[in-house]
Amino acid sequence: MSRLLGRRTLLALGVAALAAVPTFANPYVVFVGNQLMLYVILAVGLNILVGYAGQLAFANAAMFGIGAYGTGLLQVHFGVPYYAAAPAGALLAMLIGLAMAWPALRLSGLYLALATLAFAQFTLWVFLHWESVTFGAGGFKVPPPSFAPLPLPSNLGIYYLSLLAMAALVAIAWNVVRSRIGRAFVAIRDGEVAAQALGIDLFRYKAIAFGMSGLYAGIAGALHSALLNYVSPEGFDLFQMVLHKAMIVVGGLGSLAGSVVGATTLTLILEALREFKSTQEIAFGALLLVFVIFMPDGIVAALKQRLQGWEEPLRRVRGRPGAAAGAEARP
Amino acid sequence: MTMLEARGLGIGFGGVRALDDVSFAVREGEIRGIIGPNGAGKTTLLNVICGLVRPDAGEVLLAGEPITGLKPNVIAGRGLGRTFQTSQLFRGMTVLENLMTGLHGETRAGLFAAAFGGRAMLAEEERAREKAWKALEFVGMERFWDRPAQALSFGQQRVVEIARTLISEPKVVLLDEPAVGLSLNRLAELDRLLRRIRDERGVTLVMIEHVIRLVMGVCDRVTVLQGGVVIAEGTPDAVIEDARVIEAYLGRRVDARRRAS
Repeated sequence: MSRLLGRRTLLALGVAALAAVPTFANPYVVFVGNQLMLYVILAVGLNILVGYAGQLAFANAAMFGIGAYGTGLLQVHFGVPYYAAAPAGALLAMLIGLAMAWPALRLSGLYLALATLAFAQFTLWVFLHWESVTFGAGGFKVPPPSFAPLPLPSNLGIYYLSLLAMAALVAIAWNVVRSRIGRAFVAIRDGEVAAQALGIDLFRYKAIAFGMSGLYAGIAGALHSALLNYVSPEGFDLFQMVLHKAMIVVGGLGSLAGSVVGATTLTLILEALREFKSTQEIAFGALLLVFVIFMPDGIVAALKQRLQGWEEPLRRVRGRPGAAAGAEARP
Repeated sequence: MTMLEARGLGIGFGGVRALDDVSFAVREGEIRGIIGPNGAGKTTLLNVICGLVRPDAGEVLLAGEPITGLKPNVIAGRGLGRTFQTSQLFRGMTVLENLMTGLHGETRAGLFAAAFGGRAMLAEEERAREKAWKALEFVGMERFWDRPAQALSFGQQRVVEIARTLISEPKVVLLDEPAVGLSLNRLAELDRLLRRIRDERGVTLVMIEHVIRLVMGVCDRVTVLQGGVVIAEGTPDAVIEDARVIEAYLGRRVDARRRAS
């Protein structure tokens, strides 16, 4: 149990540290911290789809955008309050994610990558050119949500809402990947034919993976629109997609801890290079290359080699049935 | 009772009849061998039976019920297990996790139960783990429970794969060349294991096998395929004497060798 507790403690410590940030940090640091939490949500969602279920999809940034646009446009066009618009935007992203499972049943690998990439570009095109609805390239302003009666200014309200969402979504992802659903994901990734022979319905579990990943991206998008009070197409372009991909590759594919580590690493690099905007893409491209070639299992794999007990089991409890969890020493 | 029956199965791939009017019936508790030269259509036959390939003629009955045209995962749920020529263990899982995945059809937890880790779901996981552990003990692989599947030897992977199929208590298991690449010692172990699966678990086995020693030792009956057609069926001793079978495998070389020696 100690190991499990250790991980829980780590998560709790992380959440506590993030919760404390606004008490001493300036608004810029708070903003970066908030950005970081959204990237953790995005990376965890993408890792479920790509790292666990093995679906090489390239539409995460588009889902992120759909969540943000859905939330923002509902507020602007129909005066829907944020608390109704945000879940609606997130659900929209989830539904579109679910729909993507259908082509994914027939396509795999590079073909799926191309199809989802085409979908992402199409989404971006809609953001840019359906001006009467999306306001085109310039984007649009979104009213800051009010957190009354809580004594919180809008930015801190969004900060704590993001923190809550992140903690809940990471915990849910953690539970799901260790359940029979997580095993079905990995089975589909490692061998579709064998998975079917064991009674796993490919469509069902691909749909769950696409839907979850869409929902995570959509929630991040809904929070993003309120964080910036502004939605524009450029935040959801290919660069954003490469950023998400880089996070899970650098952190570790098929690892939730890796998603968190990767999102943190890349957010920090992103901020460090903020002043040299043009170098960001080069830096990320280079980083991605280095990791794909030299560390394909990401930072987490290196951590696993050095620290004992960093394995992320798919099963809930270790060892012989009936034995106390983790009581058995690893051989 | 007939446990698995093929009736007039046929399938063509671009003009080639891979299977043509293949019929056979396997009794409950039987170990049936399917032999035949390379390209005879043996693996295609297994793929048709387990639903990976849809036949263009004929039907398959499992315990008397038609399963033709159902999706492979549905057929698996009806009680048909399958192992593959090359190991299909999931590389990213440990041995125990692989076995627990074999219980997919028996466990029920949905997304919400899994996401929020309810008590019923935890109990179900615990039962699954117990079952997986028992299946490991049945094949004598429990000391490898936490090894990554990739770290096992060829033969060990084969045995774990068989255990993963058995765990859901199927009625019939199809084995595609279980003995390929095994040493003589391992072969004897496999022979014993297959008998135990039949005797202790009551599972009907249908296996493609090239290793004649295993086929002769363990199979009750043998079906011989050549060019997609059943050319002989009977007890191993009878089949091996069958002139058509000898010709299918060896052609005239037998005579040539005899003359030379």
